[in-house]
Amino acid sequence: MTAYLVRRVLQAVAVVLLVTLIVFGLIRLAPGTAAAAAVGSGSAHQQFLAQYLTWLGHVLSGNLGRSTRQNETVAALLAASLPRTLVLTGASTLIALLVAVPVGLLQAVRRSSPIDHALRVLTYVCYAMPPFVLGSVFILYFAVDKHFFGAEGPQAQDIGGFISDPRDLTLPVLTLALVTVAIFARYMRSSALDSLSQEYVEAARARGGGERRIVVNHVLRNSLVPVVTLLGLSFPQIVGGALVVETLFNIPGMGWQIWQAALNHDFPVTLGFTLVIGVAAALGSLLADVGYAVLDPRVRNSRP
Amino acid sequence: MVRRRGMAGAAGFAAVGLVVLLAACGPASSSVGGASAGASNGGTTVTYAMSPGGTAAYPFPFMGLNQIGFDSIFNIDDFQYLVYRPLYWFGIGTKPYVNPELSLAYKPTYQGNVVTIKLKKTYKWSNGEPVDAQDVVFWMNMMKAEGENDAYFSPTGLPSDVTNIRTAGKYVMKMDITTPKFSESWFDNNELSQVTPMPMAWDRTAAGPSHCATVVADCKAVFNYLTAQSSKAPSTFPTSPLWSVVDGPWKIQRLTTDGNLTLTYNNSYGGPKVPDHITTFIELPFTSEAAEFNVLQDPTSSQTIDVGYLPTVDALVPPAGSNVGANPRTLSDYQLSALYPWQLTYFPYNYKNTTGQAPIFDQTYFREAFQSLVDEEGVIDGPLHGYGKPVFGPVSGFPATKYISPQVAALGDRWTLSVKRAETLLADNGWSVKPNGTDTCVRAGTGPGHCGAKIPAGTQLKLKLMYATGIDWMQSAARELASNASLAGINLSLIPESFDDVVNAAFGVSPTCTASNCTWQMAWWGTWTYSPDFLPTGDELFEGGAPNNAGDYNNQHNNQLITATLQARTAAQFDSAMYRWQNYLAPQLPVVYEPDYPSLVETIRGLDIGPQNSALTIMPEEWHYLK
Repeated sequence: MTAYLVRRVLQAVAVVLLVTLIVFGLIRLAPGTAAAAAVGSGSAHQQFLAQYLTWLGHVLSGNLGRSTRQNETVAALLAASLPRTLVLTGASTLIALLVAVPVGLLQAVRRSSPIDHALRVLTYVCYAMPPFVLGSVFILYFAVDKHFFGAEGPQAQDIGGFISDPRDLTLPVLTLALVTVAIFARYMRSSALDSLSQEYVEAARARGGGERRIVVNHVLRNSLVPVVTLLGLSFPQIVGGALVVETLFNIPGMGWQIWQAALNHDFPVTLGFTLVIGVAAALGSLLADVGYAVLDPRVRNSRP
Repeated sequence: MVRRRGMAGAAGFAAVGLVVLLAACGPASSSVGGASAGASNGGTTVTYAMSPGGTAAYPFPFMGLNQIGFDSIFNIDDFQYLVYRPLYWFGIGTKPYVNPELSLAYKPTYQGNVVTIKLKKTYKWSNGEPVDAQDVVFWMNMMKAEGENDAYFSPTGLPSDVTNIRTAGKYVMKMDITTPKFSESWFDNNELSQVTPMPMAWDRTAAGPSHCATVVADCKAVFNYLTAQSSKAPSTFPTSPLWSVVDGPWKIQRLTTDGNLTLTYNNSYGGPKVPDHITTFIELPFTSEAAEFNVLQDPTSSQTIDVGYLPTVDALVPPAGSNVGANPRTLSDYQLSALYPWQLTYFPYNYKNTTGQAPIFDQTYFREAFQSLVDEEGVIDGPLHGYGKPVFGPVSGFPATKYISPQVAALGDRWTLSVKRAETLLADNGWSVKPNGTDTCVRAGTGPGHCGAKIPAGTQLKLKLMYATGIDWMQSAARELASNASLAGINLSLIPESFDDVVNAAFGVSPTCTASNCTWQMAWWGTWTYSPDFLPTGDELFEGGAPNNAGDYNNQHNNQLITATLQARTAAQFDSAMYRWQNYLAPQLPVVYEPDYPSLVETIRGLDIGPQNSALTIMPEEWHYLK
């Protein structure tokens, strides 16, 4: 297991370095003085590698540069926006998992039953519904019309205040969660169906195990493996989805910041935030692999 | 002079909006920055919604080239001007004129080439020192020292055209204007409009007090120090020994990384005081128009907003004869008004285009034909929901000012939508017109009835319009234009780009042009806003070689008429020269005109914010709740 972990960590580091190299290269190729300034002032004649290493040195020392539009360091903008996005995506993903796993499992166990059909239609609707439509409908009904929840996300500057405002946090989290639920539930159903047809399930039934016990002990655990993998790999997509929700619910989170930076040619912010997302994606993938190994002993015991 | 601030587009348009909205005082409302919820009942706090994508961020009014990103309405008109007053204040009612009552100095006087500025003795800095002539010289010296690093540097404008900058008494300063012939109106409105007095507390470096106010050579170090101090964390500004010294009606109480700004009334402000004025002014940033509109509609929102804006897409069409329509049902607590900024909405042809279309743009008949395919009234009635005014000359007719030529105004829009007129103009000038096809030049040459110089036979009318995405009505207007053009056989391809990309392309042409930045044919970023150069003389947008003459329209007679406006010494001479220039240029159609459009301001009932100022400056110190 240790060797497996070390191997995967080294791979993750390599991926992160590759991400930084690609992002830096793309910004260096961008026309204009803003892009040139972002990759290092006065370095127009430096070699690519020298520029890259200089920039990487700054990054490793915590200097991600300075926004050209917001009079703030990229690190300060990250510190302000990243926690919001983490709360938003974390809470929505957790809710999505808590709902999607049992729903997918139920659909698989009750395959082709009316409840399976009904839940399938529901997940398809959620899957097909763009977050801005879902969010707008929620705002119009639950905030503007009924005043059950706030029309915008929490506006507290500190993360404590952000979290402790359930009235304003509900709709953005719900919007993001419902879209994610649909994805996870579809995967869970498919995975559980696959598990149900495995020989070990039939063997368990032949041994006289109860259906509930079989589903919980054999089907659920094995069906979670692809969902965990999906969870790790879907982080960048969730951040992408957060952009829409953040824009609609007035939450200046990471997704919104990187979008604004792209529009305004604020290259230091683009670089810094892309780097963080790249690291998060690599970390997510790493965690997924670790989770995969925990769930499946064959993985952790395998040799390279 | 290069005034990026003059360009309003996807983000800028919203910025233009004295975007303010007030939330009905929801019982569940808490407040931001200490504002009391439900202030509309007669409180002392106003919460103002900023347009999406922009925030207050940078306090130092003197900006170098590296600070150009902070040259925005959000940062200047909605922030800096409220705390650090410019020498001359623009905006009287809805007119973009100098406001003598709110200016720090009396109207300048001229003797020969010497301009004398006399400051009022009533204005003081918040540290007790008077706002005097030395503070003005401090700014001028910094302009001299920074030269081309000044974000607004012009080789022919301030400070290049003045010398011997000096005080002539505690409250009097003088400068010698080096231009032999100059217009006093132009100097008042487009030169002195850039000056902001700076306190002696700012005349220092990290080593201690300096002498930029008297010695130009000391200014670079002071500039570097102030720039560095302005780049510190925004949360430090309220207590900064530099930025806490103000002469405007407001002091910074709180500024966050996200751009949440709280200002408190400066009791030592020396300008006119309105009884029962508000004492706390909160500016809130928003991530999108939709987000702002959602909050506007929800009286129980955690942020209460008193002045905001209605997105055009959500506006109801005004009834005939009315300036504004009814508010949406969900905004019954608000009063709607339309604010027309002092602007000109157009997009340029690229006369230096290197892909072969420049000779076509050179032809007046073509420009007339193309303008005839712009359905300004249709755009106003359609995507602008009934809000907007047609533009048909180089000076906007709305708001009505003394600057527009009476003749041009009387003639009105002579190029209303007419596909037939466009077809006739093209057919009469050597083109084979193929509606829904592509027109082709069949009579090459320069004589009557021919296509024109450098347009070879077989040339097809295939054109490209690059436009900034992000404003719904602009996208609709561009599509409508392409459709109308197709009816006349002009194949118009639309190229959506970001606002920055359009601006960078369009304004990279003049005065120099390289093959890489001359390939665009037409570029529409939004509108041109006259601020802080408030005089609509043609020297910025229409004179050959002018930095903001995107596309570099260059017409010798036009250039001469513009020069005449800049050399017309008295106001009467200036007006006359302006009218002659417009009478000539209007029918030349050097650019493609689109309608001017307003910001739709929502104000909570019970709050009086006075007339909306087309100069885009806001005066919350005059806002008050009605008893």
